[in-house]
Amino acid sequence: MISVQQITKGFDDLRRGRVAALDQVSFEVRPGEIFGLLGPNGAGKTTCLRILSTVLRPSSGTATISGFDVVKQPTEVRKRIGFMSSNTGIYDRMTAWEMAEYYGRLYGLPEDVLQSRLERLFETLQMNDFRDTLGAKMSTGMKQKASIARAIVHDPPVIIFDEPTSGLDVLVARKVLATVQSLKDQGKCIIFSTHIMREVEKLCDRIAIIHKGAILAMGALSDLQQQYHQPDTEELFFDLIERHEQQTRTTQTEFRLAAS
Amino acid sequence: MVAVLPLLLYPALGLGMFSMIGNFAEQPRTVVVLGEKHLPSPPLLDGERFVANWFMNPDDASKLMVVTDTAVELGGGGSNASRNLQLIKQAQELRKLVEQHTSLEDEFKQLKAALAEQQPDLSVTPAESPVAMQQRMQQLKEHLAAIDHELTNLFAASQIQVLIVIPDHLRENIERVNRLIVERKTKDLTDFTYPRPKIVKNRADDKSVVAYNRVREVLDAWESEILRQRLSALGLPKELPNPVGSAPLDLAAEAQISASFWSKMFPALLVIMAVTGAFYPAVDVAAGEKERGTMETLLVCPATRAEIVLGKFFTVMCFSMSTALLNLLSIGATGKYMLSNPVTGHGMPAQSGGITLPSVAAWAWLLVLLIPLSALFSALCLALATFARSSKEGQYYLTPLLMVSIGMTVFCMSPGIEIYPVHQASWFYSVIPVVNIALLLKALLLDPSSTGAWIFAGPVLATSIGYSLLALWWAIEQFSSEGVLFRDGERFEPGLWIKHLLCDKEPTPTFTEAGFCFVLIMLAQFGTMKTFGQTITSVSQDQMGVQMLKVLVISQISVIACPAVLMALILTTSLRQSLRLRWPDWRFLGAAVVLPLVLYPLVVELVASLTWFFPPLSEGAVRVIKSMSDGNQPLWLIVVAFAVAPAICEELAFRGFILTGFCRNGRTRLAIILSALTFGVMHMIPQQVFTTTLVGIVLGLIAVRSRSLIPGVVFHFLFNSMSIVRERVSTHLAAGHAEEFQRSVWSSFATLEVGGLRYTWLTLALCSTGSSAMLWWIWQTGRTKGNAEAVNPLFAGGLAPATQHPTCAS
Repeated sequence: MISVQQITKGFDDLRRGRVAALDQVSFEVRPGEIFGLLGPNGAGKTTCLRILSTVLRPSSGTATISGFDVVKQPTEVRKRIGFMSSNTGIYDRMTAWEMAEYYGRLYGLPEDVLQSRLERLFETLQMNDFRDTLGAKMSTGMKQKASIARAIVHDPPVIIFDEPTSGLDVLVARKVLATVQSLKDQGKCIIFSTHIMREVEKLCDRIAIIHKGAILAMGALSDLQQQYHQPDTEELFFDLIERHEQQTRTTQTEFRLAAS
Repeated sequence: MVAVLPLLLYPALGLGMFSMIGNFAEQPRTVVVLGEKHLPSPPLLDGERFVANWFMNPDDASKLMVVTDTAVELGGGGSNASRNLQLIKQAQELRKLVEQHTSLEDEFKQLKAALAEQQPDLSVTPAESPVAMQQRMQQLKEHLAAIDHELTNLFAASQIQVLIVIPDHLRENIERVNRLIVERKTKDLTDFTYPRPKIVKNRADDKSVVAYNRVREVLDAWESEILRQRLSALGLPKELPNPVGSAPLDLAAEAQISASFWSKMFPALLVIMAVTGAFYPAVDVAAGEKERGTMETLLVCPATRAEIVLGKFFTVMCFSMSTALLNLLSIGATGKYMLSNPVTGHGMPAQSGGITLPSVAAWAWLLVLLIPLSALFSALCLALATFARSSKEGQYYLTPLLMVSIGMTVFCMSPGIEIYPVHQASWFYSVIPVVNIALLLKALLLDPSSTGAWIFAGPVLATSIGYSLLALWWAIEQFSSEGVLFRDGERFEPGLWIKHLLCDKEPTPTFTEAGFCFVLIMLAQFGTMKTFGQTITSVSQDQMGVQMLKVLVISQISVIACPAVLMALILTTSLRQSLRLRWPDWRFLGAAVVLPLVLYPLVVELVASLTWFFPPLSEGAVRVIKSMSDGNQPLWLIVVAFAVAPAICEELAFRGFILTGFCRNGRTRLAIILSALTFGVMHMIPQQVFTTTLVGIVLGLIAVRSRSLIPGVVFHFLFNSMSIVRERVSTHLAAGHAEEFQRSVWSSFATLEVGGLRYTWLTLALCSTGSSAMLWWIWQTGRTKGNAEAVNPLFAGGLAPATQHPTCAS
């Protein structure tokens, strides 16, 4: 469903010069699977997911979603994904219902399908008590639910969650995770980024640990734990990152020695 | 709110004006008259006022309060007695200084006159040498300056706006002269030299100026009455002082006065309101969405970027148009009400019965022209607002945009600027954005049925829609650029930025650097204009031509080549790549030799056939061009100044640094057009802008396809040389070789006319075939190579963390 091949993305940064936010990243995600992108802040998770959602273009490499190329057929790709991140806010001047309805129309859903879909969605997400509340007056939890409703209003086969639980209290986060789980059970192809180990352990079928734009390890959590002889997810994560840091430091020293 | 505000604003403003006018009327200015008892008849003063008859509008008498010394001596003035006493004291001090000033000035004048005749005036300063006289004059000058200074301070400190000093015995003097005239006994002019009144005012003080103008009006009216009395005593007719007595006949009908009023007011307002109406909604829907974090939500929906921009654009345009229309309606209604009101509308254009609103036809035109105007501003504002990181940053862009629009409208409002200048048929104004609409509207509001203006409606609308589409395209470009959409709100640190510029250099310049290079060239051109102008005028008339040519060469090198080469040296790692310094394929060199020869006649004829379009050159410019290219200057200098220097310098800048930078975003065609436009704009004179832009496109194409600067230099040199050759040949033939020329074979290719050689259809047909074939060949050849160069991945220098940059290893 999602196929990412050798994607690289660079930015110009005043402080650090040219930075590779993503360096030769490849992975695949199948339907009915939750793929976790685990990495610290600034690892390149958001950049990767933005490329998948066609908002950014990769500097090199290709990515396809349901067989559509994110660079060449962005509109087709956008029709088939639901995207939710901490950056996809909701409109202050629209109610939850209006917002979901508006996006449903943007996706070109026929009016009767849209209305029944909205009713069902608001039912399952338990949003009926604030369907006429303005975005500005919603609590964080309500906003998150409205965002999810907006992202899946067109029933997309692929759903991308970029840190959907950041800034939420435990109760709301739990509900969001439950929603993700139920979407997986509907057979959706889900990619999920986070920096919280517990979420990965609970939800993800496979994970990729990403750091400084590169994937350090990839596979089912249990396989990784066996492979690196580290039963604790947190320790595994730190081990991998530490090892990567050491490697780059050595290459840099070598480079400097060679240069001087 | 946007809609309600203008509807309330103007009536409120009107009300404010109404009460202001009321308040102003109650502030009379103080005029002090010294020596009232010496005033001749008829009476000038009436108690504390001037006699109302002397004013054109008798109501004005209340606006001046007169304090006289006679009244104060008599203890008059009532409650103001002490204040009046104070005023008179100040006035008397002033009077002393004024008298001193007068006598010194008289002496100074006499000395000056005497000195001018080179013979000491014996009656005033016997036996004084010219040197001594000059010393005395200097002393007087200093003395005068000191007195003036004191006078100014004293006058400013007093509460007097105008001081009238009537000299002693003025009445007796006038009566004496009157008698002498009646008895026909006036022998010479000395009879008329008696002391005259002095009026003291301060031109820098508005209150004093207003008061003085009123006093002047009164005194003039009063004086002509005295003259009339003198005439009647002589038995002469009253009309004696006015042998001509011309009287104006104002043909302006009431409707025309209204039309002229609205035609001055509405275009400017329409432009300003269309900008402001578009700006705030644009900032809200673009930068505001970034700020509120809903931009990405919108970007992941299946709508294309163009669709999103169009949606936003129509929203903004709606606001822009309704703001403009509501404002105009409100101001029109308020204006009509205010001006037809007898109290507030006093002295305004239509004293009789108020003014009428523009006709329905005018309103219809207004509406039609508002559409492209609003579209242009909406798209511009949207592009700017998309660029802004936050709505706050967006607001900063309003001021420059508003200043430019106001500048344009002020230009349009100035009298004499019309869409169709009477004496010179020029279509130039009708293609300048904003100005064209404002001017057309000005003409149409003046007379909605004028066919003269109708002719211009087509081009104005077409070009305006074209500009709007361009602006819209720019807005979509902005919206499609991830660099713009995800601009970080990073702190601007000049140090870091400069370090980044100097350390993270790339082989070729970036788009921004190329744009900045152009701005630098324009600024340098502007900055050196004065210096070069002074250098030219510093030599004698016959040397001026040579001097101008020299200055031309220097300015080419310093203003055009230097910025480009320096920027390439400082900001890029490869001078060769940045300035395209490489040896080209020989076939391109061949093309560069032949193409100018066939292209030149086409350009000449094109310009000649478009003379109706451009405003004619100013006489000064024509003279300058003539004097530089006439036969008196050495040929080598002309060739260097007009062909060699531009070929090298302009190519280095425009096909070197700027075009290379513009090519960086991978769009070669856009880069060629942009570089050609910068090249054209640099030439400033409209005709030249047009031709150089065209030639710039050809030059850009050659540079991109040959990947070298050299063919461009060759082309540029030959093209400019052609115009020198044409000039020389024309002069030569005009000087008595015309007959010979007409008999020769050449006459089927060119004919000799007043402005120089003109080419025949045969030449043009040959040239156009030749040049199209060659341009097609250039377009096709090296296409793949050119593209390979143009597509520049983000990491031209390879992926490398900054710590690995040898130059920046810290």
